[in-house]
Amino acid sequence: MFYRQAGIRYTSYPAERQLWPLGIERVLMGLILALALIAPALLSPLLLSSYLLPWVIWSIAALGLNLLMGGAGQIHLGYAAVMAIGAYSATHAARAGLPFELSLLVAGLASAVIGVIFGAAALRIRGLYLAIATLAMQYIVDFAIGHIPAISGGTQATVATPTPRILGIPVEGPVGGYYIALVVCIVVTLFMLNLRRTSFGRALAAIREKDYAAEILGISAFRYKLMAFWTSSFIGGVAGAILVFCYYRSVSPEQFHLETSVQLVAMVIVGGLGSVLGTFLGAALILLAPLALSALVASLASSGLPIGSDLRAHLPLVLYGALIVGFLIAEPLGLAKLYDNARKYLLVWPFRHARS
Amino acid sequence: MPRLAPTDAPALACRGIERSFGGLKALKGVDLEVRPGEIFGLVGPNGSGKTTMVNVITGFYPPNAGRVALFGDDITGLAPHAITRRGIARTFQNLALFKGMSVLDNILVGRHIHMHPSVLGTLFYWVAAVREETAHRTVVEEIIEFMQLQEIRHEPVEVVPLGLQKRVELARALAAEPRVLILDEPMAGMNQEEKEYIARFILDARDERGVSVLVIEHHMDVVMAICDRVLVLNYGETIAAGPPAEAMASPKVIEAYLGHSAARRQLRAVS
Ligand SMILES: Nc1ncnc2c1ncn2[C@@H]1O[C@H](COP(=O)(O)OP(=O)(O)OP(=O)(O)O)[C@@H](O)[C@H]1O
Ligand SMILES: [Mg+2]
Repeated sequence: MFYRQAGIRYTSYPAERQLWPLGIERVLMGLILALALIAPALLSPLLLSSYLLPWVIWSIAALGLNLLMGGAGQIHLGYAAVMAIGAYSATHAARAGLPFELSLLVAGLASAVIGVIFGAAALRIRGLYLAIATLAMQYIVDFAIGHIPAISGGTQATVATPTPRILGIPVEGPVGGYYIALVVCIVVTLFMLNLRRTSFGRALAAIREKDYAAEILGISAFRYKLMAFWTSSFIGGVAGAILVFCYYRSVSPEQFHLETSVQLVAMVIVGGLGSVLGTFLGAALILLAPLALSALVASLASSGLPIGSDLRAHLPLVLYGALIVGFLIAEPLGLAKLYDNARKYLLVWPFRHARS
Repeated sequence: MPRLAPTDAPALACRGIERSFGGLKALKGVDLEVRPGEIFGLVGPNGSGKTTMVNVITGFYPPNAGRVALFGDDITGLAPHAITRRGIARTFQNLALFKGMSVLDNILVGRHIHMHPSVLGTLFYWVAAVREETAHRTVVEEIIEFMQLQEIRHEPVEVVPLGLQKRVELARALAAEPRVLILDEPMAGMNQEEKEYIARFILDARDERGVSVLVIEHHMDVVMAICDRVLVLNYGETIAAGPPAEAMASPKVIEAYLGHSAARRQLRAVS
């Protein structure tokens, strides 16, 4: 009964275009935001640092990837490499004495520049070929980081990240890291939500749906695809930097291999292409699923089933694969669509007729 | 908002347009001139090269020979998005709407060339974009009213009936405020009433907005009723031009159409 459109009247176009038209949804969003802000006081340090913090950070990254995949319709199989570029450039910038805020900017710019170069190379191609080109990016970046000691600090090396300082004040511990990640996450989330109601977002969607029709409306497909790669890579770079500064507290090549890229694609597809809420749900599911799985495997192993450590190590990947395939078959629009169905159901409850 | 042509140059002038696909010569030196404020019909049997001509004008298929000029400016070889900015808008023979977007958003995309899309504007929607969005929404609402699409503006475009989709696409083209509007079979698959609606919209667009119109149409009654002049193509060649009644009565045109339907009747007989 709270989900009602009846009685809602708009007196201006901006009011009609607000992010959450239903009062109940605005209340919910406010509640979630408040909970997110006081989470460090509610959750145990363990829950905060090993569940909530990675969820927030991976959501930032997945939102960046969703801008490209859901927003502009371009696949990217090397998004972890984009994050790696940001992580390494921010680390080196900060170690060279740059303030943390500027290091984040450096991370975003470095990833955006390199990301856009690969994007430009990939512009003339689509679908499968684009997938392979971005895969090549993953391997080239992996190779470059692994083989240039100036970046990686030597083979198999781990470079510690300095403590982030905001306006010169050191931000230590998981709580500080959480708030940094949360602020960035809120900014990126608002950007993604606004895409739906600005000419920039519509131009990306137009290119995704029908590039020739977009062209004849004055939208240069070339330019907007590059802009999508630029923006998405910028977000990815910042997310990578936050990941190593606030979560891992050190940076090493194996944090950003192909598995991570696959994981990110899984978050976007399972969550729902182009959906902001879905991205958060997808990130949560992909982060939680392996934990639940390894708990299950551990209990099976202890009950006597012969499960090798090799199999154990690869089970999460198998699970991501299964989730991607499962969602593509059963619900291509992802968790976001499941939520949408529930919302539509509530809108017309107790009647059963919901459109689409 | 009638707009005066800057010069007395023709709105659209094509000279000696040639275009082939592999060995097929789809256009063999076509001349076409649309005067400012005119509704110009491009007709001809199936496969005669009408759509190809429009694709040449709008930059999708650069011509192998010949020039295209818009109000005296040479636009030959420009990319489609650049040509749009010079003032041409078009619709497609097979609908080309953006699925998954509402009717309103589809028409808003038509405003693209008049807006300033940017990443920062999107991030800071509340300080920057909202004012621009509102201003252009007002323009789009005028067009929605003009095209009588109020009832469906918030519907996803793919659930709207076909006839209305054609109208949405026309609205989207009008939203760009073009100087020349090109319509590729805007009435295909419509019933008499819907056809009359579209004919009315085309006339009003010319009279109220001052656009010059190039329209491809198979419905001869409509062509006769709204076009000031026509050009008839057959196998990529001009076979008649002039006021519709005269052009359509020329022996070559009758032969082209008759030959065509006779051939089709034969085909139907054997299959
Ligand atoms: N992209 C293309 N590649 C190859 N041949 C093409 C292409 N586009 C058009 N043609 C050919 O050019 C000729 C003219 O086609 P066009 O689409 O311009 O005809 P039309 O007059 O628009 O016909 P209709 O009334 O059926 O729409 C046809 O023989 C067609 O097969
Ligand atoms: Mg055609």
